[in-house]
Amino acid sequence: MGGCFSDMKGGKQAVGGLREGTNAQNDAVDFFYRSQGFHQMFTQVEVYNVYGLVIFLLQLSLSASNLLDRDIASKSDPMVVVFTKKRDGKLEELGRTEVIMNCLNPEWIEKISVAFHFEIVQPLEFHVYDIDTKFHGVPTKTLKLGDQDFLGMTSCTLSEVSLIEFAIMDDNRVILAVLTKPSRRITLRLQNRSGNDGLRNLGALTVHADETVASRSVVEMVLRCSHLDNKDVFSKSDPFLRISRMVESGGYIPICKTEVINDNLNPMWKPVCLGGHKFGSKDNPLLIECFDFNSSGDHVLIGKMQKSVADLEKLYKERTGANFVIPSKRRRKEKVLKGQLFVDQYCEKQQFSFIDYISSGFELNFMVAVDFTASNGNPQHSDSLHYIDGHGRLNSYQKAIVEVGEVIQFYDSDRRFPAWGFGGRMPGGTVSHCFNLNGSTGGSEVVGVEGIMDAYGSALRSVSLSGPTLFGPVINMAAQMAAQSLASYNNTKYYVLLIITDGVVTDLQETINSLVKASDLPLSILIVGVGNADFTSMEVLDADNGRRLESSTGRIATRDIVQFVPMREVQSGQISVVQALLEELPEQFLSFMRSRDIKPQPPPSHFFQASTSTSTMK
Amino acid sequence: MSRTVEITILSAENLQVNRKPVKGNTFVAVHSDASSDASPVTKVDSEGGSYPSWNEKVVVNVPLHARFITVEVKCKTSSSSTGSNSVGVARIPVSDFIGGYVPENQLHFLSYRLWDCNVRRNGVINISVRVKVPERSSCTSNSVSFSAVTGVPVAVNGSTGVVTGIPALWLNYQRNL
Repeated sequence: MGGCFSDMKGGKQAVGGLREGTNAQNDAVDFFYRSQGFHQMFTQVEVYNVYGLVIFLLQLSLSASNLLDRDIASKSDPMVVVFTKKRDGKLEELGRTEVIMNCLNPEWIEKISVAFHFEIVQPLEFHVYDIDTKFHGVPTKTLKLGDQDFLGMTSCTLSEVSLIEFAIMDDNRVILAVLTKPSRRITLRLQNRSGNDGLRNLGALTVHADETVASRSVVEMVLRCSHLDNKDVFSKSDPFLRISRMVESGGYIPICKTEVINDNLNPMWKPVCLGGHKFGSKDNPLLIECFDFNSSGDHVLIGKMQKSVADLEKLYKERTGANFVIPSKRRRKEKVLKGQLFVDQYCEKQQFSFIDYISSGFELNFMVAVDFTASNGNPQHSDSLHYIDGHGRLNSYQKAIVEVGEVIQFYDSDRRFPAWGFGGRMPGGTVSHCFNLNGSTGGSEVVGVEGIMDAYGSALRSVSLSGPTLFGPVINMAAQMAAQSLASYNNTKYYVLLIITDGVVTDLQETINSLVKASDLPLSILIVGVGNADFTSMEVLDADNGRRLESSTGRIATRDIVQFVPMREVQSGQISVVQALLEELPEQFLSFMRSRDIKPQPPPSHFFQASTSTSTMK
Repeated sequence: MSRTVEITILSAENLQVNRKPVKGNTFVAVHSDASSDASPVTKVDSEGGSYPSWNEKVVVNVPLHARFITVEVKCKTSSSSTGSNSVGVARIPVSDFIGGYVPENQLHFLSYRLWDCNVRRNGVINISVRVKVPERSSCTSNSVSFSAVTGVPVAVNGSTGVVTGIPALWLNYQRNL
């Protein structure tokens, strides 16, 4: 028991069963793959062929035992951060689990996805932290790891958990064999930072790797219980459900839990959304457990049952309940309880992922706007943010253009990018807040990242730096282009505007007004802050704290379209600009497509078809 | 002269009365200024409490000279079956969905701050709006968009060398959403 807490509202909220940006897949077809000594086990797994690059995703499930107790009054509240070690030795974060409160033997529900690269050894590092109580309720993604107590770390390579081989056939099919270790799991001893074990036992971390099941289907259910046993003395039970998937090697891996409903023996939970990638096939047995929540972390089992998704669908259709059972100590038999589980609503739907859209011809169109305000410093001087180094060392603007541009151009087939500058004094003497970087009076488009770099260099020679810093005109220009595409490209284009700036925006409210207006368009805005200015007021634009932008007329942003990243944090930290900036982009893209019910088109025929099989060592 | 506007009243968030969350039984009335038509009203939401959802489409005739559409969230009072209290009002400028840079027949998703009768901020209302355009013009714009789709080229032979690893990262994010 225990191990069911997470990071918000005292661990009472739901994990893993919420509507989310679910998974991607390709047109994987089962393929018979034989190899001596391997027992064949066929599952459809996710393989991507993104513009010729074969990508395979693994899902890591994590659990730990005997963690160090760092809290005085209660137990540790552990969370795992998974890193991959890059070739230069730098760590790059892959993901975080949820926080489980008061638990030294946690089983985390959030899975960590790892893209398997065929050509390189991928060392993984797992860091376990105790999250201080004052950070509970803060999204785990934004937690600063330096503020947390370190519980231990360990490492392994991906191939220690799962071994994958693939071959590309003549007809472009990809054959993939997953050779997983018999148990598919590896248990690693936790160490302290210096790498030695010391004298203390820091506990152990278990990593379980699964290939990701290809499934676009999502099952949404409303679950309800009746006549649950009362486990509390002074009030009624505070029930929640935990759903786990059975794994071939035996045992269960939790895939979702509901929120806690206080004081109720006939609870009805908010809709639970399970992606096919989580439960596998509809006939896979799931373990459904009902617990009474205790803030100490020792949740009391009220009852359990084993049901597949197909069984649950049947319960819904027949409008009947299923009885919970509880292991009985005396007769080694299970005692059938009065408490029942009902499925009040059940529906299956298809949900498409970012990759589904991109691989069916949807495009990202990249646009750039560069800050030409005087606060950057005279470009002739080496301390200027616009200083162009004779030896070819990139300045912060060039770095941002190259890093972001090189990724986005990959999703833009014509590689023609509108490029603008703002806050510069034109050769004619007037200050412009949206001028073409290429100096042309006609089109603002340049070709490729090299084109942006050339235009930027030539603009620095002809335009003198001025001010103030206004974003409004550039955002409006980008919004206009995005709006026009709505009618002419049938929603297959999505625009990404990169604004690189050194300073705090002068027209904050006007910028907000422009952003609110643009929030209904196929547009995302990435803002990179360079230099050492105080960017706190810019964080307002990035509505990450859940507060939506509000214009001066009372209109409110339909969705978050801004992502802001100060370059200095990026340079000092362990994340790349690309990683930080593009993190929210797929979600912003999907929020637009889903709100309008825009579906990916059937995949073009020239894409590789991937055939896959999974084998388990016997 | 007037335009026909389809407004779907989607949902509202964080509704309050006397600084306490609204218990439920909310509905929405829609009318445009400069119009004498009776204002269409949605059904009552009894389940959502202070986060009601209606998902109900109403059709309003908006005179060409009208500048605002008003949406008002009301709450049925328990005392009588016909009585209701105003929870909050939002005035929606017609210019937010007509005459901007977005083509006219597009679906707009819009959200607005609600204000109560003491001019205090009170929750947010989410709606979608589509301006009905005469058959003729919508046909032309459809055919334009259709022909454009077939023309969208797809890059296949993008050099894998340049981007090795990066799209994989993307996959991670997208997966962890």
